[in-house]
Amino acid sequence: MTELLIRGARKAYGATLALRRGDFDLKGGEVHVLIGSNGSGKSTLCKIVAGSVKPDAGEVVLNGAPVTIAGPQASRALGIGIFYQELSLAARRTVAENILLPELPATGGLFVNRRELDERAARYIAEFADVAGDGFSADTPVLNLRADQRQLVEIMKALASEAPILIFDEPTSALDRAQVDRFFEILKRLKGEGRAIVFISHRMDEIFAIGDRVTVIRDGETVATSNIAETDPSTVIRQMVGDQGELVAAAAAPAAAPGEARIALQVDRLGGQGFTEISFRVARGEILGFGGLHGQGQSSVLRALFGAASHDAGSVTLDGKPYKAASPRDAIAHGVAYVSGDRSRDGVVQGRPILENVTPIHFLRNRIGLVRPSALKDKADGPLKALKTKFQTIDHPINSLSGGNQQKIVIARWLIDRPDVLLLDDPTKGIDLQAKSDLFALIRQLAAEGMGIVLYSSEDAELLANADRILVFNSGSVTRELRGDERTRYNLYHAAYEAA
Amino acid sequence: MTSLSPTADRNPFAAALERLPFLPALLILVVLVVLNGWFEPNSLSYRAITGLVSTYLALMMLAIAQTYVVMAGDIDLSVGATLSLVNVVVIVLMERWGGGGGMVLLACFVGILTGLACGLINGLVVAALRLQAIVATFATSIFFTGVALYVLPVAGTPAPAAFWRTYGGRILEIPFVFWVVAALALLLVLLVRTRLTLQLLAVGDDAQGAFQSGLPVAAIRIKGYVLCGLFAALAALCITGDTASGDPLVGGKMTLYSVAAVVLGGSALSGGKGTVVGSLVGALIIGLINSLVFFVGTPSEWQNLVQGLAILIALMAGVFVGRRVGQ
Ligand SMILES: Nc1ncnc2c1ncn2[C@@H]1O[C@H](COP(=O)(O)OP(=O)(O)OP(=O)(O)O)[C@@H](O)[C@H]1O
Ligand SMILES: [Mg+2]
Repeated sequence: MTELLIRGARKAYGATLALRRGDFDLKGGEVHVLIGSNGSGKSTLCKIVAGSVKPDAGEVVLNGAPVTIAGPQASRALGIGIFYQELSLAARRTVAENILLPELPATGGLFVNRRELDERAARYIAEFADVAGDGFSADTPVLNLRADQRQLVEIMKALASEAPILIFDEPTSALDRAQVDRFFEILKRLKGEGRAIVFISHRMDEIFAIGDRVTVIRDGETVATSNIAETDPSTVIRQMVGDQGELVAAAAAPAAAPGEARIALQVDRLGGQGFTEISFRVARGEILGFGGLHGQGQSSVLRALFGAASHDAGSVTLDGKPYKAASPRDAIAHGVAYVSGDRSRDGVVQGRPILENVTPIHFLRNRIGLVRPSALKDKADGPLKALKTKFQTIDHPINSLSGGNQQKIVIARWLIDRPDVLLLDDPTKGIDLQAKSDLFALIRQLAAEGMGIVLYSSEDAELLANADRILVFNSGSVTRELRGDERTRYNLYHAAYEAA
Repeated sequence: MTSLSPTADRNPFAAALERLPFLPALLILVVLVVLNGWFEPNSLSYRAITGLVSTYLALMMLAIAQTYVVMAGDIDLSVGATLSLVNVVVIVLMERWGGGGGMVLLACFVGILTGLACGLINGLVVAALRLQAIVATFATSIFFTGVALYVLPVAGTPAPAAFWRTYGGRILEIPFVFWVVAALALLLVLLVRTRLTLQLLAVGDDAQGAFQSGLPVAAIRIKGYVLCGLFAALAALCITGDTASGDPLVGGKMTLYSVAAVVLGGSALSGGKGTVVGSLVGALIIGLINSLVFFVGTPSEWQNLVQGLAILIALMAGVFVGRRVGQ
């Protein structure tokens, strides 16, 4: 019977420790669930086994013998097949070609054997034929498929390896109910054949439906393994959260309950691409947090409010007046600001001086055409100082700054002319601890001065420490609101991992 | 993350374009043929077409060579230098060994080996040493040119009559170059069906994904370069037949023409999308533009300018047609 042991696997990317100590054992005939919050190291552990990431330390023992996995090819040769969370598909190749890409059937080792390729691919496609949906066929380029259909192709590709060990890293995140059910039927059959299966998912109901054992990973460390039959969702969440799960977050709630007159932003039943029925209010002086697993609609809502994406249902009022931003330009004119953690896409003007990166909003809001640089420099100076931005001179290019300081510049540009509402979309991605704490001190101060602030953060600790209230997102809608003493890590995870 | 845009009912032209990305290029080619016929009816005669093919066969081969690296998202800026090197090697060997039939064939064989070696060097430098393709092959192009200048310092040594008479002559009343085109077509049909072509395209689509899938990415890219070297050598034999002499700098200008032909043919320089047929058409487009510029009687000092503009227009037309139809 197949048996895979991983002992003390460790992997660091520069200063980030992706995996601190991964211990894992897998037996033939079981579905072994790996669960942990975003960034806890699940994918890293899987990639180590699949050979696409080289561990810094640790050993892998396969069927009693220590093995070194030199690369993805070596891993396959050892009988390991994997579904990659970020998928490994060639977009312009067809479904059939992708399924068998790792081992294209060839005549004489030279020519693709189309007949065999089609026949073998058809077997795996047939398994999902009635749940794959429209436009899914063996000769469709993957490019033309929907997200769920692409995920099915990656599943088929993993299955086609016919490996005794199969790893599925979040294979169900885009699938619908029927597709998941079909996939689970297949997993049960494979389990019956004695295959060893690793399954990762953030959906608690799925884990308890298909798993035999569950291993919890927290901050890069595997902390517990239990039989599914002997545990329950609350216990698993408690293990994911660790000791500080019950601590109430420290954020200062606004002094008084916000009255009707002080509402800065009110959103009613907003719906659009990736979110539905979103309703909330933000008072002046308040920091409202958006929480939940990655990609549950938090950013989409913020981008829609800023006019960077469209919404097709619901209404928004800004300071009591109806508001609908047709474009970011429009939003800025109405006093709505947006800061994204994705600086290169949404934030900085690469290669241009710091000054030019601080002042564009000032131009836009005041409809200025020509200016004297020295007057502008005075205006830019204050906000930069307030943020303790470190730079040589204001004429240096923005690329000369560290990530954290670049982010400060992006925020400083909103401070010359104060907005009424500040939307923060995971603003601290990739910036250091000192910069983070400066940033949040400033954000709190801005709130105190009367701004309404919405903060989405992918880091739970950051959210708990800085938000006065937290809306937990799950599959595009808000499933729970945490106020006051409810703002604990345990509650946050519980709401985030509930079945949608 | 989940995009729910339905993709089921797409228009049939878009689907055709996806399969045959060279369709816009083919359209442009037809327009150029018509224009050529309009300004110079003689240009559509059998003789004129034979001439056109024998002149541009080298560029067609070179465009094919370039295609095999572009498929994988790489580029080869040394194809022209490889061509020059093979040209002088073949010329010098034929001169040394005398112009006999067997010796000519042997020299051609050595020329092809030279092309393969150049391709292998490029492949190793780019895929194994992981240098940037565009810079690395620029460097090897200088190196290959240096070797070519060593082999034959000045242009001029003529090819033996047996060689160019064959290239410009006929077999069974059919011009030799047409036999070459037919053999080339057969070779390309075979190559399209190889596992390597599919693997090159998969690597070009997503090199990381291909690596994670367990494909030997470095080996695949090296093979792409070797194939490129092979076709660059074949291009050199064609140009040797056409010009009947050796010139250590003959290919320099052709490198970027080959890239232009590949792009005109609908391939993406970012990789993953490319057809050799498209590149062939692209090379012919460049050839026809050049002859059209001549036929409309452009004064010689304006020829480069008009030629450049015409290539730009062809590129834009290709993009425009692709977008329109692709919607
Ligand atoms: N290639 C990389 N370079 C730098 N950091 C990385 C890289 N890959 C992962 N990390 C970091 O390592 C940590 C663990 O990442 P990993 O992908 O293993 O998390 P995960 O548990 O799979 O999370 P998720 O549930 O979001 O998929 C994260 O902080 C991540 O940012
Ligand atoms: Mg992951």
